[in-house]
Amino acid sequence: MLTLWLGAYDQGLAYAGLALGTYLTLRVLNFPDLTVDGSFALGGGTAAVLITNGVPVPVALLVAFGFGALAGLVTGLIHTRLGVNDLFAGILTTTGLYSITLRLMARSNIPLTDTPRGIDQLPDLSAGFDDEWGLALTLVVVGLVLLLALLLSTDFGLALRALGNNPTMARANGINQRRGLNIGIAAANGLVGLSGALVALFQGFADVTMGIGSLILGLGMVIIGESILRPRTVPVALIAAVAGAVVFRGLIAVALALGLEPVDLKLVTAVLLLVALAAGRLRIPGLSAQSKPEP
Amino acid sequence: MSLAIANLSWGHPLPGGGWRQLFDGFNLSCQSGQFVVVIGNNGSGKSTLLNLIAGTLKLGGGTITLGDRPLHRYRDHRRARWLGRVMQNPLEGTCPGLTIAENLRLAERRRRSGLSASGLLGLRPSRGDRHRYRELLEQLGIPLAGRLDTLVGELSGGQRQTLSLVMATLGAPELLLLDEHTAALDPKAEATVMGLTEQLVRQLGATTFMVTHSLEQALRYGDRLVMLRDGQLIGDWSAGERAGLTPASLRGLYGSAIVGATEPNPADAPAAP
Repeated sequence: MLTLWLGAYDQGLAYAGLALGTYLTLRVLNFPDLTVDGSFALGGGTAAVLITNGVPVPVALLVAFGFGALAGLVTGLIHTRLGVNDLFAGILTTTGLYSITLRLMARSNIPLTDTPRGIDQLPDLSAGFDDEWGLALTLVVVGLVLLLALLLSTDFGLALRALGNNPTMARANGINQRRGLNIGIAAANGLVGLSGALVALFQGFADVTMGIGSLILGLGMVIIGESILRPRTVPVALIAAVAGAVVFRGLIAVALALGLEPVDLKLVTAVLLLVALAAGRLRIPGLSAQSKPEP
Repeated sequence: MSLAIANLSWGHPLPGGGWRQLFDGFNLSCQSGQFVVVIGNNGSGKSTLLNLIAGTLKLGGGTITLGDRPLHRYRDHRRARWLGRVMQNPLEGTCPGLTIAENLRLAERRRRSGLSASGLLGLRPSRGDRHRYRELLEQLGIPLAGRLDTLVGELSGGQRQTLSLVMATLGAPELLLLDEHTAALDPKAEATVMGLTEQLVRQLGATTFMVTHSLEQALRYGDRLVMLRDGQLIGDWSAGERAGLTPASLRGLYGSAIVGATEPNPADAPAAP
């Protein structure tokens, strides 16, 4: 059981970028960003191609972040410059990204276990959990949380939060809404791309379909984290998103240990998210912090 | 800064088809530091005028000049550098999910949007900022000085509107736009906010436009009173001239030509086939 949770801890941390990115768009900017499904796979695919070609892992991760950010920027520009509805803008980018990712990868699946360089320098990934892998991931995620917490506490971060909170007021105080959305969505998808790369590394392959359901996964992680920690400040909300990612992966690991098969995973994900979302309405003890009055 | 509105035109489509040209060659100018109170019945164009100045509505034609700056050439967030606004709805003028100190910081930095490289330097609001805000609120007699870390969403409507007013005067605005900012408040909160309004406007010395439906306010505050009807200036009184007016005489002027705000003006309706 401990092994199972430690494995979930590592996996959860690999998904932390997805949770943080979702927090950034959905909670900070109040922008329902569907680009995530595309940028997650783009990050994974990009990293896999680079690593199999001998590029060092850290560089591959940075490039995955950059490509994810570019994808986010495209969505942002479609929405802010062309005036396309937020959901449609994300769907358009994601649809296009599927082909782009496939072109980049040149095939639908790239295994990362037997590559000549890069991945072999990392500890064995097949064991389910590994201390060094976990340590490296912990450092990366702690770094990300610290960086985001600091950024969101500057005038810059304050402007982004104001935009998500009350765009009219933000504009009336000199904040350029277009620029804020573009930067915020790009940064969020950069994190998602990075997360896609880490997940590809962790699971030992990148697949062009690995991004499907990412948005809902990220949302589930954010909501579960919020249910547990009930954050009132930005730093705690960021920690909650990461905690939500770990708990979510843990719950899925438990489901698998109970005999469910990998094909059932999406269903398990959907049910878990449903429980987290409905917790308020159903008044489940310990999960009902976000409850709203009945309409 | 002096404000000059020249040859302003603006219209909007009517729900049932057709077009209503609200402003057509509208002119209004006022001197620097003047406190102008704007009244008129619903649909007369008071709030529209404020929205056109602030840039939340796009001009059909004409110019709006603040000092020597062609305001109409800038997008709304750029105009905000020189404009302080208080909106009618207390929920609109503040960020409910941010603290009082964070809201004040946003307003204070209005001239240099946070979304620039300099916005990344330093954690905000800093200790110095907070000290300044506490002093400011205490000096204005606003009992929020000890609650800088309270989320604005937890404040009452009156408190939010008070905060909104203080925010509008931060960052040295040259023009203050008050859009029926006491309309949603109870009489006690209204008195508090109006007292503060007068104090802040005098302190700031900025040119001020205050739209109101309260004839009592119209006869009491400001250096100049103007009345709009159907996008036209039908009354313009200095503080001295205003002394001869009463709520009843103003109401008489209103009543003589009330055209439904949302109903199409018969003169503008397309001719029946």
